[in-house]
Amino acid sequence: MKQILLITDGCSNVGISPVVAAAHAKSEGITVNVVGVLDRGDVGELGATEIDEIARAGGGLSRMVTTRQLSQTVQMMTRKTVVQTIQLAVQKELKQVLGNGSIEALPPEQRGEVVRVMDDLSETSGLQVALLIDASASMKPKLASVEEAIHDLMLSLQARQGKSEISVFHFPGSRHGDDCVMDLGWTDRLQGVQSIFPKLPMSGTTPTGPAMMRVIDYCRQGDESGRNRYETDGMMGDYVV
Amino acid sequence: MVVTGKWKQSKYRIERALGEGANGKVYLAQSDKGWLALKVGSDAVDLQSEINALRMMGKQKGQAEEQFLFDVDDLRGPDGREYPFYTMKYVRGSTLAEYLRQYGMEWFPLVALNLLRKLAKLHTAGWAFGDLKVENVMVSDYGYVELVDYGGATAFGKSIRQFTEIYDRGYWNEGARSSDPGYDLFSFGVLCIQLHEPKKLQSLTKELLPQNRSAAELLAVAEGCPGLKPVTGWLRAAFSNEYRDAAEAAEAWRTLMHKRPGKRGSAVPGWLKGLAVTSGLLLAASIVWFLAADLM
Repeated sequence: MKQILLITDGCSNVGISPVVAAAHAKSEGITVNVVGVLDRGDVGELGATEIDEIARAGGGLSRMVTTRQLSQTVQMMTRKTVVQTIQLAVQKELKQVLGNGSIEALPPEQRGEVVRVMDDLSETSGLQVALLIDASASMKPKLASVEEAIHDLMLSLQARQGKSEISVFHFPGSRHGDDCVMDLGWTDRLQGVQSIFPKLPMSGTTPTGPAMMRVIDYCRQGDESGRNRYETDGMMGDYVV
Repeated sequence: MVVTGKWKQSKYRIERALGEGANGKVYLAQSDKGWLALKVGSDAVDLQSEINALRMMGKQKGQAEEQFLFDVDDLRGPDGREYPFYTMKYVRGSTLAEYLRQYGMEWFPLVALNLLRKLAKLHTAGWAFGDLKVENVMVSDYGYVELVDYGGATAFGKSIRQFTEIYDRGYWNEGARSSDPGYDLFSFGVLCIQLHEPKKLQSLTKELLPQNRSAAELLAVAEGCPGLKPVTGWLRAAFSNEYRDAAEAAEAWRTLMHKRPGKRGSAVPGWLKGLAVTSGLLLAASIVWFLAADLM
């Protein structure tokens, strides 16, 4: 099961639309969740609409939160999405067996049995979450909270019985033309990782869409042969995808 | 308003809202068997998952006297939509914080002991309560304790299903977010501090950097509070996961309460006096309770 979690505070302004990118992700079987971080109401109406649409195109959830609610929201969204992904798969099966896809239509006893299986799958299935962080100028003061939320998410994932991994990307890149930088490759632990984000230079662009396309690529490579390529140099900060 | 179950046709008259949990709203309802609490879920899967947990807990050995669930069904809401619901025992009483405000902090040691014993029953069955916090503990007359909102209840070994940050040991960098007896006992410790020093606890969460949150910081608050000083040792043990389960922790708490007051103990005579009087009352209360439960 794969998820991309985008944390941002505004509008993309370069390259392919992030809504299109999110729809690509969905077609690859990757769910896209979006958290909009606002501290002084600085996500404009346009930003809010975009955030909402990205999540809808990506088959995921969107929330607007302050930095203080960030950890809890990220953790809750990830969990909810796991349950929903399982639910969708189960409903598809039910449709084939019963001709009716809705769990609500089952009598309480059978519903109990189906939900027990779903809960079990949610706890034990493998999970990969790629975090894509908007590190444009206005997000700088919020990055400490973002880092805290990532540590907190790892803690929740480690408690699962299934294999759980995260990877972390930020955008824009430091050099001209870099849409996206990988900060951490797939990992199941953050112990010893002091600081996820290196000192980031200021940049005006917000290439949310192109960055997401890179992350989708990375998630897909995990399935194929790309795995080894990233394992050796994935842990440290400066590897440019 | 009267609602009828879709599958079993039981009728319930909804009196008023009692409160709201993570998975739905709880109402006071009347059936032909008496008063009960009726929880209406907003999401069928989330509520069913809670129902499954309640059912599993009810099936465990030693839980025979504890019936969590009465009825499970669907109802049609005023908006025409169908909602899943279940009914359970109605707990008359106030939330823990309200109760202590009303009747005084001298009830704290006894109520806390009763809460630990409640947790002990769950632990014996192989479950942690998970989302232990002030709002989820109801107290009725003479310190009788009941847990409400089992949405966080998790079988040992699995990841905690629902939690509240400040009560979570992971938040304080003191362990995994997975279900074991120590998870509840850690939350219990935070709950003790929340009851005595809510403002100090609140400011700790604001001032400390995430990496600096620790049990030591919590213990420092407890040490500076006269009401918690006698149990600081107990809290330290709970925070460092030294108790096997809530039963052992309850026994340690009880021993502490009945210790003969030494020089330090004389600073809190109200506690012990209160305890002596209330243990008699508690007996009376539990008799009343069982009678009431039979009638339902």
